Amino acid sequence: MKKREVRVITCIICPIGCKAKVTIKNGKISKIEDVECPRGEEYATREIEAPMRDFFATIRIKGASIPVLPVRSTQPIPKDKIMDCALELANIVVDAPVKAGDIIVKNPLGLRVDIIATRDMNQTKQR
Amino acid sequence: MAKRNVDIAVIGGGAAGLAAAIRAKEKGVENIVILERSEDLGGILPQCIHTGFGLSYFKENLTGPEYISRFLKKAHDLQIEYKLDTMVLEITPGKEITAVNSVDGLLTLQAKAIILAMGCRERTRGMLGIAGTRPAGILTAGTAQRLIDIEGYMPGAKVVILGSGDVGLIMARRFAMEGTKVEAVVEILPYPSGLDRNVVQCLEDFNIPLLLQHTVTSIHGSDRIEAVTVAKVDASGKPVQSTERVIECDTLILSVGLIPENELSQTADIALDSVTGGPIVNEHMETSVEGIFACGNVVHVYDLVDHVTQAGELAGESAARHVLNPLPPLTKKITLRAGDNVRSVVPQIIGGEETVTLYLRVKKPMRDVKVTIGNLTIPKRVVKPPEMVVVNLTEQALEKLEKRDELKVSIMERPEQ
Repeated sequence: MKKREVRVITCIICPIGCKAKVTIKNGKISKIEDVECPRGEEYATREIEAPMRDFFATIRIKGASIPVLPVRSTQPIPKDKIMDCALELANIVVDAPVKAGDIIVKNPLGLRVDIIATRDMNQTKQR
Repeated sequence: MAKRNVDIAVIGGGAAGLAAAIRAKEKGVENIVILERSEDLGGILPQCIHTGFGLSYFKENLTGPEYISRFLKKAHDLQIEYKLDTMVLEITPGKEITAVNSVDGLLTLQAKAIILAMGCRERTRGMLGIAGTRPAGILTAGTAQRLIDIEGYMPGAKVVILGSGDVGLIMARRFAMEGTKVEAVVEILPYPSGLDRNVVQCLEDFNIPLLLQHTVTSIHGSDRIEAVTVAKVDASGKPVQSTERVIECDTLILSVGLIPENELSQTADIALDSVTGGPIVNEHMETSVEGIFACGNVVHVYDLVDHVTQAGELAGESAARHVLNPLPPLTKKITLRAGDNVRSVVPQIIGGEETVTLYLRVKKPMRDVKVTIGNLTIPKRVVKPPEMVVVNLTEQALEKLEKRDELKVSIMERPEQ
């Protein structure tokens, strides 16, 4: 017996926001309905097969005016790795000064991205 | 007390104020000062650590800190003067500014032009009238964001979010990523108040339930909030008692709207728009008081900072023109009035001579519509309340436009072709 599943994916490529109806048979996409353009089809396919997300968080910093440093991934990471990546960064502490763009963690979890600072932090007394 | 003369005073050093000051300086105005209430420039952007900024202005996907750093650097390179920790107390229609800080004490500035860029504030519990006790643990989404992403505190472990505005959705994701359980996002309207992108990436990705047509009817707890009562609402927005249920939580986050901050505008007798809550501006971003300009969320609440930057640049350019070579008043004044399915239009006054970008807020979502401005018709595929409708009045469009004193701006369904 064939396994059949229908998932609805809201396309976020443009403001129209098509609700793509994706039929999946035996783990493979067999049909995409209710999208108005090829970009929607592409988006829905990606969302089913390999959804990617930007990753961002804060990590602890010592010696700066505030106690947390905002960071991001250089490229999007797989959606299902977001929580793993957040946990990986949870116990990291860096020292000021830091420059925006500095690599804070190289290639976490082998995701082939780096975690970089998104803000300059000078060395200073905490206010 | 000595009065200092400046060409342009910018009130507020966030995205709008920085863009305005930078553009005015680039246009040749030397004596500019930014007055900023907080301890840093940058406004709200430093605490918006997520991506999605700059897609339209820089054609790049930046985080908030990255977006604003580009303007901070430019302001620094242009040696624009600013005063931090400085609270402006009053401005007059004659463009005299009274401010106070701990270095200068009380200071008075006489400006040739003022740019208002004070931004907006969040609506609070007191403005909602939710019944129940008054325990700790009820915060606005922006306060929670500041606590987590600037101060490094996690304000709770089990959260309910009231309102589905963008900041609330973004905070739902931040809470989830930090291991705090988000029990539900509760929205009184039948559709989310935030952008689709945020509903998908902040709620669906983290399996956070979105309860549409629901509201919080009561708050429980004495010292700290312990639970909220949530109920479905009927078509008129009234809670249906039989649907009430209690959700345990230690924190209630409010994301229930933003209000332009205009106490200062009122001290200068600037006419405000009762719908946007901000000054009525013309196509140069000039308010009803000559030489006082306004830009950004103080005028009306934007959904994209990219548009705030553009409004800031326009205000900066206009203020520079006013100082260097006074702007001729508009020869014709066309007042734009909100019609069918339009909540607000900015600018409210246009001249009908120069190209101008109009920003509209709609009341309800609609598909396959036409925007009508007097006799002009512009088709649009979709309009939604969370997304500002942008209408560019090009030269060709202006040629056709009938230049009456008042024009109605409406959005109506197009009959199927």
